[in-house]
Amino acid sequence: MSPVPRPSTQHSDARSLAAIADGDRQALESLYLAYHRRLARFLSRFTSQYETVEEIINDTFLTVWTGAREFRHASQVSTWIFGIAYRTTLKALRRQKQHALVDPLDACGEPGSDPSELADVRDWLSQGLARLSAEQRLTVELAYHMGYSVEEIAEITAVPVGTVKARMFHAREKLRRHLPELRGYGPDEE
Amino acid sequence: MTQNPLPLTDEQHAEIAALLPWYVNGTLDDSGRHRLDRHLDTCASCRADLQLDLQIHRRISSNPSVEFIPTKASLQRLNQSLDALSQEAPEPSRTLSNLRPAWRGGRPALFAAAAALIPLAVGMGVLGSNLWKPGDSRSPAPYRTVTTGEPHPADEVIRAVFAPSITISEMQSILDEAGLRIVAGPSAAGVYSLAATSEKPVDASLALLRAHVAVRFAESTQPSPAGPP
Repeated sequence: MSPVPRPSTQHSDARSLAAIADGDRQALESLYLAYHRRLARFLSRFTSQYETVEEIINDTFLTVWTGAREFRHASQVSTWIFGIAYRTTLKALRRQKQHALVDPLDACGEPGSDPSELADVRDWLSQGLARLSAEQRLTVELAYHMGYSVEEIAEITAVPVGTVKARMFHAREKLRRHLPELRGYGPDEE
Repeated sequence: MTQNPLPLTDEQHAEIAALLPWYVNGTLDDSGRHRLDRHLDTCASCRADLQLDLQIHRRISSNPSVEFIPTKASLQRLNQSLDALSQEAPEPSRTLSNLRPAWRGGRPALFAAAAALIPLAVGMGVLGSNLWKPGDSRSPAPYRTVTTGEPHPADEVIRAVFAPSITISEMQSILDEAGLRIVAGPSAAGVYSLAATSEKPVDASLALLRAHVAVRFAESTQPSPAGPP
């Protein structure tokens, strides 16, 4: 489930990045196309506006362009790119002073679910996610939405594994408070 | 409240419980997974937490049927930004300090104009690399009418153009109501190919699309039952 790219993809990405470091724009375009969908899927958790998604992706790839020479293969290219996207998104979120530029959860339907129950859960989750800090929200999305391991999230966010776990712990505590019945007990038992 | 017969300290318990999100997303290694499996057998509190994590994971990981897909215009804008960058620093050692992405507040007129033309999104993973090839982004898209040019997907029943300002949520709502899904697009002209997801007659879906202000154009690609007059 982890989005770790296959070895062939990793080699291809590394070759593209080496070419980008030499100023090859077509290599940048190839990498852009290869990652756009995945990055957009991540960013669409924070905004439903295509323009905002694309601006953040473009800014990410401008940083890839300017920073390709500094890539030292200490991590996978995909993790490095997501790290850049993470920091770019973090800046955008902090600038917006909210953690969803536009609530994207309305776009997520689940055919077959009870609509009223689904609406309740969605509403709870939307409210809960909006209360998280930017770092907590991004950690939650990287784990639950993008399927990254704790070690990968530590690389992407450039913090120790323990910090990732702590952010997730506090995020889950905040989310838990918004839907106590899912914990199997009522609010009066908290 | 916690019924945990294992002789774990609070710290040990917290350490194991902290792994639950990655147990749920399937990225724990074998050792961590087995450790948590054993712990869940005996810890009611963590079993309850697991239900919470499953709920969160299920909601957050559910895939919308509309996704963002890069258009030719996306690459054009990236190249325009690179051009601006290269004017500041010809080599890719480069600085970003003079570039100000639109989401930071100001919106360059060029971006705004291009963004107004951009189709929003496409779904179901049926598209992708065949929309265009890297390197052709500087070539202007040839003018095409909506009804001519690119081949139609086999299950296409309607072609439509949406307002550029439409959101994923709005597009999804319209498509759901009309019993349609995206099977291809957007083309260079912003045209989406839509297939039916229900038994709703194509004419009925078409009427629903045309009733929405966010749908700029919609036409059936099905042959008329009566044939040409």
